[in-house]
Amino acid sequence: MSATGKKVVVLPCSGIGKVYGALARETAYELTERVRPEQTAMTCLPLLVIRDEQALELINNNHVITIDGCPKSCAFKSVEALGKTVSKAYEAIHFHQAHKDLKPEGVAELNETGRKLAAVAADELAKDIDELAAKEEP
Amino acid sequence: MTGLEVMTKKVGIVSCSGEDLPGGTVSRLASRKVLDELKPGEAVTICLPLFVAGGEEERSFAKNFPTITVDGCEKRCAQKSTEALSGKPGKSLLIPEILNKRGLAAPTRRRNLGPEEREAVRAVAEEIAQAVEELTKR
Amino acid sequence: MEGFLETTYDKFIFRVKEGYLYLKEDFWAKIDGNSASVGISDFLQKSRGDVAFLETIEAGSEVRQGEGIGTIETIKATFAIISPVTGRVIEINPKLEGSPYLLNEDPYGEGWIYKIELSRLEEDRKGLLSAIDYLELMKEKIVEEMKKK
Repeated sequence: MSATGKKVVVLPCSGIGKVYGALARETAYELTERVRPEQTAMTCLPLLVIRDEQALELINNNHVITIDGCPKSCAFKSVEALGKTVSKAYEAIHFHQAHKDLKPEGVAELNETGRKLAAVAADELAKDIDELAAKEEP
Repeated sequence: MTGLEVMTKKVGIVSCSGEDLPGGTVSRLASRKVLDELKPGEAVTICLPLFVAGGEEERSFAKNFPTITVDGCEKRCAQKSTEALSGKPGKSLLIPEILNKRGLAAPTRRRNLGPEEREAVRAVAEEIAQAVEELTKR
Repeated sequence: MEGFLETTYDKFIFRVKEGYLYLKEDFWAKIDGNSASVGISDFLQKSRGDVAFLETIEAGSEVRQGEGIGTIETIKATFAIISPVTGRVIEINPKLEGSPYLLNEDPYGEGWIYKIELSRLEEDRKGLLSAIDYLELMKEKIVEEMKKK
């Protein structure tokens, strides 16, 4: 939990069938399990899609960042469709573009290089998490 | 729309793919296993957020072909969304029910899957494959 | 305004822009007077996946129909951009540098790659397909592609 009492909700997309979807998810897990477990939370994107009350409360009361696996940007659009402004929107493909030597592979499960890229990306996003968590209003 | 259509008999799998719980991971991996190994060429996956957000290909497919929903938890996001947008699915599967029926332990990991999760993926994939077979025979 | 010819396979809709000319290797040319915009077809972007990196040749370069004029790298493959026409590159789409995904999002519009000043259009036409002819070729390719999966 941050000093303001607000968390940063990390929402990856639900893409099945794209490597960058798997990368988006793995990066989210790295952030919430290893890099900033106290400052972050997750919920399922499909819960927002069906307007689940608990999921809506979570995102309405906290900062939200999205990580999308393709330009269709389902995670970003799903949050904005609920009237909530996304604090930071990322595309997993940009993580690869910034680290061309770490090519992710694996649609169902990421390969070792992909997991390494996710770890590097999560470390780089930590700064943004810290900045958001320090803000009062989500 | 002009032009010719090449239609083959297929089933659409709508997986919850929930990112925040192990059941979502099992749902996603089981769906991929069916597509890639058990019933190649007989099914497609329908991306749930894209489906709800109005994805043209997703909605068009679900309108014309039978669907199987696979949910990782009792919230049944995939089933509810499909019912709301394209009518009753041909088959609705709930992972906790499948695992219970087979006497299998509930998965506890969202990633870095262990033997319980692998077994759960195998069992759920078998159920999905059976449902694909039933629906393609109709 | 010309629209699209379409064909559907499973849940995938493949589009061919009417009024454009096509190389059988899945690249298009939109002729505009004595120049042409060129890019990749919807089938190519769908079958190769999301574009991660794009390498282009420089403006001012001479190009010939059928020759490589850059590379596209997706998560699935790295492949050459093949010029559908002969001439000189006069412009490279500046938007692609920051947003190569435009090649996937809008392959016939915002995702154009080069503008080329033409030097032998009538000769090049012999090597190009109309939209209808390319649609038929594309259908064969789709069936082959899907069989591989």
